Amino acid sequence: MRAAAAGTALLLAGCGRELSSVNPAGPQAERISDLTWYLTATGTAVFLAVTGFLLYAVWRGRRRAESAAGPAAERTLTRWVAGSVAATVVILLATLVYNFYVGRSLADFAEPGALTVRVTGHQWWWEVQYQDPVYSRRLTTANEIHVPVGRRIRLEVQSADVIHSFWAPNLHGKLDLIPGYGGTTYFRADRPGVYHGRCAEFCGLQHAKMDFLVIADPPERFAAWYDQQLRAAAPPADSVQQKGQQVFLGKGCVMCHTIRGTPANSRVGPDLTHLASRRTLAAGSLPNTRGHLAGWVVDPQKIKPGARMPPNQLASDELHALLGYLQSLK
Amino acid sequence: MSAQRSVLDVSELPKVVFGHRSLLWWGTVGFMVIEGFTVLLMVASYFYLRLNEYEWPPGRTPDPDLLIPTLNTVLLLAVIVPMRMVDKAAKRFDRAGVVRGLLIATAMTVVVAVLRWWELLALNVRWDAHAYASAAWGVVVLHATLVLVDVFETGTLAALFLSGKAKRKHFPDASDAADYQYFLSLAWVPLYFIVYWGPRLL
Amino acid sequence: MARTEEHVAAGLLDAGEREEMERTWRGQPGFWGWLTATDHKSVAKRYILTTFLFFLLGGLEALTLRLQLARPENGLLDPDQYNQFFTMHGTTMMFLFGVPVQLAMAIYLVPLMVGTRNISFPRLNAFGYWVYLIGGLLLYSGFALNTGPDAGWFNYVPLSGPQYSPGKRIDVWAQTVTFTEIAALVAAVELIVTILKQRAPGMSLNRLPLYVWSILVTCFVILFAMPSVALASLMLAFDRLVGTHFFNPAEGGDPLLWQHLFWFFGHPEVYIMFIPATGFVSEIIPVFARRKMFGHTALVLALVATGFMSFGLWVHHMFTTGIPQLGQSFFTAASLMIAIPNGVQVFCWIATLWAGRPRLDTPLLFVLGFIVLFTLGGITGVMVASVPFDQQAHDTHFIVAHLHYVQIGAFVFPLFGAFYYWFPKITGRMLSEALGKWNFWLFFTGVNVTFFPLHFLGLMGMTRRVYTYLPETGWGPLNLVATVGAFMIAASILVFLVNVFRSLRGGAPAGDDPWGAHTLEWGTSSPPPSYNFLHIPVVQGLYALWERTADRPVVAGMGTRRREILLTTVMDAEPDARYAHPGPSIAPLLAALAVGVTFIGGIFTPWAFVVGPLLLFPALLVWMATQDEQPGPPTPAEEPA
Repeated sequence: MRAAAAGTALLLAGCGRELSSVNPAGPQAERISDLTWYLTATGTAVFLAVTGFLLYAVWRGRRRAESAAGPAAERTLTRWVAGSVAATVVILLATLVYNFYVGRSLADFAEPGALTVRVTGHQWWWEVQYQDPVYSRRLTTANEIHVPVGRRIRLEVQSADVIHSFWAPNLHGKLDLIPGYGGTTYFRADRPGVYHGRCAEFCGLQHAKMDFLVIADPPERFAAWYDQQLRAAAPPADSVQQKGQQVFLGKGCVMCHTIRGTPANSRVGPDLTHLASRRTLAAGSLPNTRGHLAGWVVDPQKIKPGARMPPNQLASDELHALLGYLQSLK
Repeated sequence: MSAQRSVLDVSELPKVVFGHRSLLWWGTVGFMVIEGFTVLLMVASYFYLRLNEYEWPPGRTPDPDLLIPTLNTVLLLAVIVPMRMVDKAAKRFDRAGVVRGLLIATAMTVVVAVLRWWELLALNVRWDAHAYASAAWGVVVLHATLVLVDVFETGTLAALFLSGKAKRKHFPDASDAADYQYFLSLAWVPLYFIVYWGPRLL
Repeated sequence: MARTEEHVAAGLLDAGEREEMERTWRGQPGFWGWLTATDHKSVAKRYILTTFLFFLLGGLEALTLRLQLARPENGLLDPDQYNQFFTMHGTTMMFLFGVPVQLAMAIYLVPLMVGTRNISFPRLNAFGYWVYLIGGLLLYSGFALNTGPDAGWFNYVPLSGPQYSPGKRIDVWAQTVTFTEIAALVAAVELIVTILKQRAPGMSLNRLPLYVWSILVTCFVILFAMPSVALASLMLAFDRLVGTHFFNPAEGGDPLLWQHLFWFFGHPEVYIMFIPATGFVSEIIPVFARRKMFGHTALVLALVATGFMSFGLWVHHMFTTGIPQLGQSFFTAASLMIAIPNGVQVFCWIATLWAGRPRLDTPLLFVLGFIVLFTLGGITGVMVASVPFDQQAHDTHFIVAHLHYVQIGAFVFPLFGAFYYWFPKITGRMLSEALGKWNFWLFFTGVNVTFFPLHFLGLMGMTRRVYTYLPETGWGPLNLVATVGAFMIAASILVFLVNVFRSLRGGAPAGDDPWGAHTLEWGTSSPPPSYNFLHIPVVQGLYALWERTADRPVVAGMGTRRREILLTTVMDAEPDARYAHPGPSIAPLLAALAVGVTFIGGIFTPWAFVVGPLLLFPALLVWMATQDEQPGPPTPAEEPA
């Protein structure tokens, strides 16, 4: 009965988002997933054994006319208890050894020359910087990390404010972002896909809505995406977008956001240069559509109460123009 | 239903006992363990924070002064002498000896407590300058609260014995106070070296 | 139970002396008597009731959380409220219920079980309760005034530091911890001293009941664990109040210092709740299996080993912080190894049941439920002790599932077993067996329905401490199931409350020993008289009441005109001294209020740390000057020096 529930639940995990610890898309997650199955199988066996012994003991005891005491009973019991303890020790040692092996292989994944991505955690969004060895090819974006399939990625993490934790379960275990410390790990995506990630350390009011995406593309597609992202923002193509850019530059937006190629270059909030190329808004809280973008711009507090972005009073034509401009930033 | 009962007669047992035979001694030891371990954790935190700095003290903070801290440490160790007298007098039920020792010890400990303020100034930095300052102040202030407890304990015991209201059962309390004093004074020695000499050696 | 012919035997108390005992040990009348009580049973009963009240409040908070999570994007609680609710739930359950209830039960049971008349330091004991109560009132006042803490029961910095948590919310948390930790330390000292020095003659260490061993071990763990959280919360309070930089990375401080100090306490903390629970189980099983426990020595060694090893695990709460692999391996090994003494206990218990003749009364049902739930929780514990797996499971609902299986299964279930077992002794009335079985089965089913699905939610990516989630995650159905389970648990608690109220109003009288048990408390009346035993028993074996000879030897020659207790030697419990205990006193309450002013004032101004101690000074003078109740002429110990 329990197995059926387990199966159903895991099937449910497959639907919708791929956010799962037992659906690995890379070698790190795969090794952990194998360990998970081993632990689950061993654990289930031990649980059934102990519960079985317990139920048998009660059943047997209730059939007695007299308690089993005396040296013979003590000897029998000592043998059984000692044997159970010995079995426990063996199982634990085996688990320990398997753990060492997995831990070492996870740690051994480092590689010089890996593609380096630095992620900085903020309350409540993810700043993503590609640390290309050529400085002019360094890229800053937010909440979405594209990686080439099959290449090792070096992930460097740090925090701008409180402790966060970077967790993309299909790819790797989580790593904490601790102010004053820098963390490093490596992963690789072995098949193309969109892998969801979440913040996994309580970080305040909007910890629940601090998601990110890791998008693994074939290398050519990744290279094309990267080159596109490096370009400055597209200039406004028509008068509506022109007006939209003026709205952006004239209102409070420039206090927090960067759009490369315009005077707006604040680093407080996410980089919007290629906003329209992203799948989600507000750290994974909303799909990136015109309607959702409008709602977010006008009143972020309704969607993420406590977020650092204030509401924005806009006349309807200003909003219309602004949306047109923002949606042109591919 | 047997009409014969056995009894274990304890009517001849003493009513006033010293050291590990008394309840309060165990209570005192319990609190020494708690306080001692708290101080130990504070020291561990001090060393943990040291790992984050290249220099210790960091930046332009000068090393702590040594004069008053060294004098006060010697004084704190010296309080052991009158308290040892109290301990021996208490076990003899010698009221006059207990009073004499407690008065001297209280006076000395009051001086230690007052000088403790200058020991804090000798750190040459405010507690809120950086983590080193907070940790150094933390160690000294933590021990200082124990010194204040000691002043209270020896002072009230001295008052109790002076007033003539002390009873036979209070003599073991005086002996326990001596044990607490040994702990307080000796525990300070490694702390003194860590806080005042450490920056020169670490 | 008067047997007049026995009073003729030399040394036993006659009728006049019995009346003197009543007078000497009686508390003061009325409300003043309630405020000044120093009888360990009075203090313990109100302590147990208060902790249970906090258990109910914590449970209501849990129900509210589960209602919010029952469906995606629910609007019952906004994020700020949700953060306060889960912080209050954790803080209440861990600091105001978990540890205090175990200590309160011990304060009631241990003096009776070791055969003495009161706990070692009666006024300190009362002081501990008042300080605890002040701490609980502080937390809930804060909550009611919208100044309740909101950064989790574990309160990580820098989120809980001055920069990211302005206002007084976190300071309320920090000082609540200070109060509860003082109360726990005080109880630990006095229980250790009672166990070591006040045991009845003949109760050598090898005849110490297993529950008393569990309390002895637990109290040592408290002595070394509590200072860590006390220090951490003081450091945090000072970072927030006077600008120290213990945890501020910009000035050389370190957020991980908080985690180390907190978890150095936090891991032993759960063993502080668990070890006494195993003590309950070790008392219930022999009585309800009607056979002496198999493996007594192994069980004692397992208790001691668990206590020691609990200090070597704390970094397993920090596996994702980036500690070096060698450290990870050590703490994995230690966390796995602690399963061995736990396993020894489980196997010895099962062996005793097999060899005995179990009767499935409610206390034993809770014990059986405990073994099942604890095994499951222990297995997920082995899973999360494995670093690679923990790197996926940490901070997800998998951990929530694990911790509730061990907390509810391994701690609350034995506690309920203990309630059903000792309720007759404490109140003199039996609880209903029928309602008890309903209580058990609803509770057991409810726990599984609530928490088993959470394992899957964690593996499916549901992180902890989230106030809502999107429908596309697919987490809705399992969350709904868990919420239904939570209400089953609530229903089971309601059944328990009904059982208690009905029993108090008109339950069957219990008599001295309704269960045929063997520990000393069952050798006196239910409820016990204020002096516990008219004559201190002499213990002749490990199973005191099962192994005493027909003449039932007792101690004679103790005073009746003052509150006299018998001190015995540590190893062999040979009579050593007759000690006078203080009577009722208002000083503990005054001292607790002064401590309250110090630390509550300390939330607002550092001057409270000057004013408070100045108030404490007169309270302590009253404490030291308060004389014992001496109806008769002074005894030699009272002679002027």
